[in-house]
Amino acid sequence: MTYTILGRCAKTGRVGIGIATFSITVGRYAHCARSNAGVTISQAFANENNNAIALRLLDQGFSAQAVLEHLKANDAYYTYRQIGVIDRTGAAAAYTGPGVRGWAGEVAGDNYIATGNGLVGQHVVAAIARGFLAEPDTDLEHRLLMGIEYGRDAGGQGTAGDHKPERSSALLVYSRHVHPDIDLRVDLHATAVEELRRIYVEYKQYEAYYRYRGEHPRGALSQEAFMKTIAAVA
Amino acid sequence: MTFSIIARCSETGRLGLGIATFSIAAGGRCEGIRFGAGICKTQAYVKRDNDLLALELLEQGMSPAGVMQALEDNDPDHAWRQIAIIDRAGKAAAHTGTGCRPWAGHHIGDGFVACGNVLAGPKVIDGIVAGFLRAPGAALEFRLLAALEGGRDSGGQTGAEGHLTERSAAIFVASEPDHFDIDVRVDLHDDAVTELRRVLEEFKLYEVFYRERGLRPDLAMTQSQFVATLKARA
Repeated sequence: MTYTILGRCAKTGRVGIGIATFSITVGRYAHCARSNAGVTISQAFANENNNAIALRLLDQGFSAQAVLEHLKANDAYYTYRQIGVIDRTGAAAAYTGPGVRGWAGEVAGDNYIATGNGLVGQHVVAAIARGFLAEPDTDLEHRLLMGIEYGRDAGGQGTAGDHKPERSSALLVYSRHVHPDIDLRVDLHATAVEELRRIYVEYKQYEAYYRYRGEHPRGALSQEAFMKTIAAVA
Repeated sequence: MTFSIIARCSETGRLGLGIATFSIAAGGRCEGIRFGAGICKTQAYVKRDNDLLALELLEQGMSPAGVMQALEDNDPDHAWRQIAIIDRAGKAAAHTGTGCRPWAGHHIGDGFVACGNVLAGPKVIDGIVAGFLRAPGAALEFRLLAALEGGRDSGGQTGAEGHLTERSAAIFVASEPDHFDIDVRVDLHDDAVTELRRVLEEFKLYEVFYRERGLRPDLAMTQSQFVATLKARA
């Protein structure tokens, strides 16, 4: 039981994922994006090596659909997997095996895949896609977070009588760098999507400062001094 | 303002990294650990792609000292960096630049490096080392956690206006190339090392279940059933 938005920004080529689930430490399973390559996720009964394999294939230039075919050929339990792949052109390929439990499926288009399993219904992935597409001109990380918030608000995981809370979540975005632009996690929390929003809002205040002090250490503000500038603005 | 430890388990060859700091989401800036290559952690004023560059060099077989020299040659601000490196055999190198905020320093041990900056003093490094060495037979993730707890309990970080709390923390352990064994994070918390222990201990309860359900999905119980077995055990 998990719901996820994979996305690519058509203007900038940035790629990323937003993911939330009842399982704990989901970010461990979501090292799944790479600059100028694409983004992927293997969930449900996850083959733990799939993300790394898929990223290597995307990096080599295979299309999203071809990557899916490779993962299928490589996996005796492929029918238990739920997989999404977006390549560097924005082409999307997704698969939900018949062995995946609960309501499971996806909505995909150019540059995005909303996918999930163990959900209260199809309307959850439809809502995730709506959230992602709602503000197409904003930063990818914002759109991904909107996607999973819409998924949560549409009922998220479980069944009509048995809601499963989000206990972990993660948000990851790559641009032209070999390191991520955004890499935020909630590993164990009673309301992991709300907590991810809290961390995201806080991190956004520090993002430019952390980058700048590394690039220009001579004369950089101390973090304590920087925090006073935040407090002064607030 | 950070304290960290990188280590190779001499019995298993597993590689690990533990970090705690006042900065938020520090676990999202730890790309420098790869099984088969080694570990590099750059902190203080971070040159963001140092760690991945170092992994490329370690993978080619360069020694930690050779890698450190290459990083220095590549960086006009090397004196503002704090860098720890271990190769796949456990050989180590470390650098605490004169531009790092005091107190800053490191300790190279047998198969590990403890380092930190903006610390209460050398006693913090002593605390990290003592924590790491206390139970040499324990799993690497718990030795790393004991090291972080030792650093915290020895005074941790001290800035211009006194003690700085740990707001984020993370532990990573790798024993194969395509995914981490252990990958737990706390991105924004008042007492991040204590919270990290909570997350790690919870993850350890699920670790085998999560792995097995991916390897043999046809035999897997549901997570709800598994959680019920945990409750019955407690």
